[in-house]
This record gives sequence, C-alpha cells and structure tokens, in this order.
Amino acid sequence: MDGFTYSDIFATKGVEYLLVISVLLLFIPFWRMVSRPAKAMYEAAESVVPALSEWFQLPEEKLYYHQGHSWAMPENDNVVKVGMDDFARKLVGKIDGITFPQVGSRVAQGEKGWTLLAGAKSIDMLSPVDGEIVAINDSLFSSPTGGGQDREGQPWLLKVRTPKLSANLKNLLSGGLARKWMEGVRESLLVRMNYNLGALYQDGGVLVDGIAKSLDQEHWDEIVKEYFLIS
Amino acid sequence: MGIDRRTFLKGLGAGMAVTLPGSSLLARNLEAEDIAARKEFSGVLVDTTRCVGCRSCEMACAEAHGMPIPDIGDTSALDTVRPTSVTQWTVVNRYKTDKGDVFAKKQCMHCNQPGCVAACLVKAMAKQPDGAVTWDTNCMGCRYCMISCPFDIPKFEYDSAFPKIQKCSLCWERLQKGQKPACVEACPAEALTFGKRRDLIEEANRRIYGEAGKYVSHIYGEREVGGTGYLYLAAVPFEQIGFRTDLGTTAYPEYSKGFLYSVPIVLLLWPAFLIGINTITKRKNELQSREGGKR
Amino acid sequence: MNTLTATEEIKGLKDFVTFLSRELKPKGKLLTPFNVISASLILLGAILVLYRLVKGMGAVTNLSQEFPWGIWIGFDVMVGVAFAGGAYVLTFVVYILHSDKYHSLIRATVLNGLLAYVFYAGAIFLDLGRWWNITNPLWGNKFGANSVLFLISWHFLLYMIAEFVEFSPAIAEWLGMRKLRKFLGSLTLGAVVVGIALSTLHQAGLGALFMMAKGKVHPLWYTEFIPVLFFVSSIFAGLSMVIFEGTISHRVFSDKISHEEHAAYDEMLVGLSQGCAVAMFVYFFAQLLILIHGWHWALLNTAMGWWYLVENVGLVAIPCLLFFQGARYRNLLVIRTAAILAMIGIIINRLNISIIAFKWWIPFSERYFPSWMEIVITLAIILTEVWVFRWVVNRMPVFGKPPAWAEETHS
Repeated sequence: MDGFTYSDIFATKGVEYLLVISVLLLFIPFWRMVSRPAKAMYEAAESVVPALSEWFQLPEEKLYYHQGHSWAMPENDNVVKVGMDDFARKLVGKIDGITFPQVGSRVAQGEKGWTLLAGAKSIDMLSPVDGEIVAINDSLFSSPTGGGQDREGQPWLLKVRTPKLSANLKNLLSGGLARKWMEGVRESLLVRMNYNLGALYQDGGVLVDGIAKSLDQEHWDEIVKEYFLIS
Repeated sequence: MGIDRRTFLKGLGAGMAVTLPGSSLLARNLEAEDIAARKEFSGVLVDTTRCVGCRSCEMACAEAHGMPIPDIGDTSALDTVRPTSVTQWTVVNRYKTDKGDVFAKKQCMHCNQPGCVAACLVKAMAKQPDGAVTWDTNCMGCRYCMISCPFDIPKFEYDSAFPKIQKCSLCWERLQKGQKPACVEACPAEALTFGKRRDLIEEANRRIYGEAGKYVSHIYGEREVGGTGYLYLAAVPFEQIGFRTDLGTTAYPEYSKGFLYSVPIVLLLWPAFLIGINTITKRKNELQSREGGKR
Repeated sequence: MNTLTATEEIKGLKDFVTFLSRELKPKGKLLTPFNVISASLILLGAILVLYRLVKGMGAVTNLSQEFPWGIWIGFDVMVGVAFAGGAYVLTFVVYILHSDKYHSLIRATVLNGLLAYVFYAGAIFLDLGRWWNITNPLWGNKFGANSVLFLISWHFLLYMIAEFVEFSPAIAEWLGMRKLRKFLGSLTLGAVVVGIALSTLHQAGLGALFMMAKGKVHPLWYTEFIPVLFFVSSIFAGLSMVIFEGTISHRVFSDKISHEEHAAYDEMLVGLSQGCAVAMFVYFFAQLLILIHGWHWALLNTAMGWWYLVENVGLVAIPCLLFFQGARYRNLLVIRTAAILAMIGIIINRLNISIIAFKWWIPFSERYFPSWMEIVITLAIILTEVWVFRWVVNRMPVFGKPPAWAEETHS
C-alpha cells in the first residue's frame, strides 16, 4: 500500500467464505465416514459368513425379549413360555446342563432366573417376567438335539404364571425395537472381534463351539455375563 | 549545595554553545535541559550524503565502551559489508551505487516500540524515557530479542561462559551526564546530528525540501516499524545502501499483542466451558447407568 | 500380572527407607543392548553439558548471530511440547467427556507429558546463555509480562505442577498411602481443567514467539494465525505420539498390561485415529485458507513453495487420509504408519519455522546445521526421559490396574 494507488485489502474475502462453506459441507460426509467402519468391512464379514443375520435368528413377532437375552412368549391364561434367544445359545456354545429353580418357586423380572452349566463355568440368566414357575422343560438334555443347535423352534425353558403380564411386557422389547436392539448387539460383537471373523473359524470352516470361547479362551464366561447383564 | 543541577547544566550548555562552532541546530542539540529532563525521545540523524567513511565513529564507540579499537587506517574493512558484532556496536559500510560510493553507518535503531523490549521476559532490554534502548545484566541469555529485532542488531557472546548481549546503547551513560553519544561527537563531517527526535525530523525535512533533488524524499526511520530513534537521509533509494524497505510501519510488538491479549480470555473461558461439559456428560452418564441397571 | 504396589501400608520413616531402598534396585537385566547404548550416550551427553557450561555455548553448538535458535529450541522444546500434547487431549476425553475407552492409556500419557515438560525445561536451561538468571522471570521485581516467552515459562512451570498432581495418585498408590491417594484423586479434575487451559495457550504461544520474526520467516509459513495452527497441530501431534509410544510400550511392558486392556487397545487406536483424522482435516483446510488470505499462492512455484507442499500435502493431507481409512477399515498397520508420517510432519513444520524457513535467503553454506554435540545432548535428554519413564512404569501402577483399595474417583 503506497498511498498513491488503490489496493483492495478484502479481495480474497469472497473466496475465503466460499472455501469455508465448502469445507463445512465436506466435513459432514467426512465425519460420518470416519465415525463408523467402512461398508466393505460389513461386506467382508457377510462374505465370510453369509448373512450374518442368519446366525442370530431375527426376533419373531410374538416373542418379547429381555435385554439379558431371555424371552417371554405369552400363551394363555397369564402363563408365559420363557426361553433364551438364539444369540445367547450361539454365544455360550455347548451347554452341558441347566440348573432350574423348583416348580412353585417365584422369579422376578430382571432377577436371576436359571443357571447354565458349560464345562467348569456356570452362568446365570435373568428372568424376563415376574411370577410363579409352573413347569420346567426337563427334556432338553434327554433328546439328541439338546439345547445347543436347535434352529427350528425356540425351545422353552420355563413356564411361568405371570399375574402382572402387561406391566412386565411393557419393559420388554418386541418387533421393530427388538430388531434394532439385536442389530446393536451384533455390532458390538463385531467390534469385539475387530471385524476379524477368521477368529471364529479355526479349523477351516467349522464354527468354534461358542462365540465367546473364540474371543477369550480363559475368561469367556465374563464376556457372556456382560451380555446377559449379570454383574 | 551552592549551584543547583539545572543551573549548572544550563551553564555547561551555554558554555559549550559558545565554544563550539556550528549552526543554530547544534545549539538546540545541546540544550542540556531537555536532555536532562528526558521528557522526549532523543535520536540521531544520519546524513549519508555527508559521510566520508572515515570510521571515526567506530573508533570513538570502541574507546567509549572499552572494546578493541578498530584500525580505521586499514580501509580494506570497507570492501565487505559487515554486520555489527560483539566487539563492534557500530560499523560503517560502503555501497556502490549509481551515484558513486555511499557510506551508511549501522547500529541499533533505538525503535520507538522496540521488538527486543517486547520480547524480553526479564526486562533486561528496556526503552529508556530519553529514547535509548539499553541492555541489563539480569538477562537470561535466551536470545529472543535477537529473533524479534527487525534489524538483527543484538549480538550474543557465544564464545563466553558468561555471555552478554552486545549492541549500541545510544551512549546512555553519557546522556545522563549531559554528553552526546561518542560517535556523534567524533564525526568530523557532521554527518551525525544528535537531538530530540521531533527536532531531527524537522531538520531532515528541511534538508530534503531545502536542497531540491539532492535527497531521496524519504526519512528512513520516520515511520518504519512504528518509528525509530536513528533517522537516515540518502541521495539514493535505501535498498541500495543495505536497508530493508519491506519492514512495514507497524511496530513489532503489535504483532504479538493479539496473542497476548487472548491469554486472559482463554484462561477465563476455558475452565468454565470444561467444567460445563464435564457436568453435562457426567449427568448423562449417571442417567444412562441408572436406566441400564435395573431391568 | 504382577502387583506393583506396596501391599503393606508404610508406617513411619523406617518402613519408608526400606521400601525405597528396595524400589531403587534395578528390575530386570542391566546389560541389554539398549541399556548399554543409551547409557553411553547419556554419559557422553552429561560430559558435553559440563563442557558447555564451562566453555560457553559456542564451543558446543553451531548457533550464530544469524541463527540464534537451533535444535534445542526448534526440536527439543517446540517438537517435544507438541508431542506432549497427548496429555491434555486425552485428559479432556477421559475426564471431561467421560469416555471410558481410553482409561487404560491415561496414566502413561500423563506421565509422558510430565516427563516431557520436565526434560524440555532442562533443554531450555541448557540453551540459556546466562542460565544462572533462570529464576528471574519467576520471582523478582522485573517481570517482562509483555513477553510471549514470559507467558510460556510460567505456563511450563504451572503445567508441570498440574501434570504432577494428575499423576500423583499413582505415586500415592505406589507408596501405599491411602488417605493421600484419596485426597489427590479429588484434585484430578481441577488439575485437568487447569492443564487444558494452560496447554491451549502455551501450545499456541510457542507459535506466537515467531510473530515478531516477521520478515525472517518465509511468507508461506509466517501468518498471524501461527498460534492457532500450532494449537490445532498439537492435537494430532500429541495423539500420534500416543499411538506411536503406546505401540512400543505395549510390546515392552506387555506383562503389565491386563488382558482386557490388550483387547481394548485396538478399539482405542481406532478412536485415536479418528481424532487425528478430524484434527488434520481442520488443519489442512486452515492452511489452505491462510494461503488464500495471504495472497501467497504464487509462491508455491518456488523451491520453498515445493517444500511447503511436501510438508502440507505429503505430511498432513496424506496422513490425514491414512488415519481416515485406517479408522474405517480398522487397519492397525495403516494407523501406525499414519502416526509416524504425522509426527515427521510436525518435526518438519516446527523446524521449518524456527530454522529452515527462517531467513531462508541465507545461502546454504552459511546456514545453521546442528553440531554433533547438540545432537548427542538432545539424544541424551530423550534417552534419560525414557529411562525415567521405564523406572516409574516398573514400579508404579501406570499400566495395569491400580491396587484394589484405590477407588477410581472419576467425577
């Protein structure tokens, strides 16, 4: 600026504003992309295990799920069937036995319902409803199919008479909400595995007994207890 | 005491005015009252059209401050452009221009708002009220003043275990005694004029307009970096005689002022923001854990 | 997993002396290759420091009147402090945003931050020509509050104290002093808040030092926004250092790191990578904005211009993309590579402003290059820091869980 000729000190202002606006616009997809894993990661997972969603059967309409992975299916007369979901079974793997409370004893929603036995570990599961136990499924371990790999139906574990059924059901997930929750659980599992699905297939194609065991041989029960909301 | 300081200096000044030949300006220079009262900046006007390159100023400076005396008889020193050094607070350099050889004396410019003073964290560099920029021994030797000087003047004694910063002090100790700087006194060609900065600018303008075409119409140091104590006149453009003309008119301390004034703002706002965010996220976590617990 | 902390409470001086003498004994092999090499360098460095103190700076450094600041400032202080920025960023994430994910890293990072500042204050001490006056800005009657360096020296001191307070619970756990541990834990949040405010200012302040070097720093690097750029770059410099140093620590100290922490480590790396990607994105476009604002695009087609592009495209934009992709594909190798490139970029940036792009017109033969003695002293400082880090980690609960009696009070 010599004081004898004009020089526009704001000449670049327009360009600067445009640059800032475009950077902010660019930032939106940048932020979204950096915050979540690449689509290819999901696709890689799917290609290794076709339709990851098939692993954990999507929740059926009539089932009401507790966040500890037990479910309740109302039958009639305030009696509900209670069981554990597909995710829980796949997570734990081979179950050697189940310790049930006695018929006639009471259970409470969110409190301990029954205990799974697998190897040396015992893992509690939470009951989805309040009420009195009217029946337990003894035949689970007597038949060859057992409680592990059955994919046709949802074998029930207990039948409970629930006086406050509608109140209980309000606290459980079903339908679209349950589906969303399951997606979140699946996501957390993928994150745990760091999307490294090779860990699950040890001997070239055979699914290792129990997802939790393949994540952590020693402390797999702690992982399971996390998902079952047992502290 | 019989005679008070003011009267003594007045007498001294008058005596000197009578004994020394010179223009009315010289008489004004030596108004010891003003110098003693130190109300305004003093400075030196360097008229490069009068300088003959004798380097008496270099010798006088060295003598006055106990530094090795340069051999001014050996003119080979003028063959290269020299910077000031730890043993030479001022140097005279020769430049070949289209108007022949021009000699320019180089030393601390004694800026109105010195970068070195703003840089010094222990106030070792200080701008005195009479204009001199002085260095003091409480210096830490951090050399930040060297980074901040637009003219690269402060020089550091790297080879000493007890190093000092060396630069022209405008003969501040002599100024206290009512004397002129040694270089100004020694100059035989009246190229150097000491006086109040205000008066020197007037004198410089007088010379520019009085002797039409002799000088480039610019007083170097009038506005450069906010104005300096040393002012220069030349017959050729200043770039040709070793002066930087790209320094701007903003005083250098202004460049860090913005940052310095943001400090209290950040220290005020950040803790409030941080505690606020902390409270919000803590509450969010509490709510979440409460909801997630009992189901 | 070994328990590192005193299981007995220390009652009285005798207990303390026994405890200390036990702790002072070296743990592990003494004559490893690393130990031998680093010890020799440290010893050589110590001798050179004495030589410098006796003979003056010129005997040991290549500093000159044209280049008053060399690698002790340009590298040790400016790069070192930028890399120590991980402490203020991570304490922000863990204590202010309450993100539990990085919890296992926080003590090591704070320890590193504390040690970095202590040792770089040491580097400054060596760089002071009149070092006996080092206390002048701290007490006395001549405070140059007008100086950016005054601010920085005070901040360094206060920040060291804040970092020490943040780390002190680990020391209390080591000594088994329960009441003290509880008290110190309550100070953490305050120390964190103070630490973040101070860090913001002195990271920016190191850049502000060069504001008065207008005309000496090349126009592509000189801008009124240097403080902002230094602050933003300290974020990804610090996080990259956390990634880099964490990778090494995880291998060297793997026996101290719990099982869950090893597993969670990958998750942390992805998160840190995301943070770096975002910070570098902002930084890159800030540089672009400044380039336009300063009318300097024409300078890009010069030697210094190409060097500027190497720094900002090769060592900012490219690592930014690598962090971005590394996070998305959870590829740890890509993330680590990005961290190294980013760190090199920071080194180049700080050296550019203080040495390389400083008085860029001066011909090669007259420029400053560090002397071998300056380099040895720098290495000695860094290696001493590593030794202290190792000593602390081998005794105090830095990696791994604190003793059961120490409740983690993270308010």
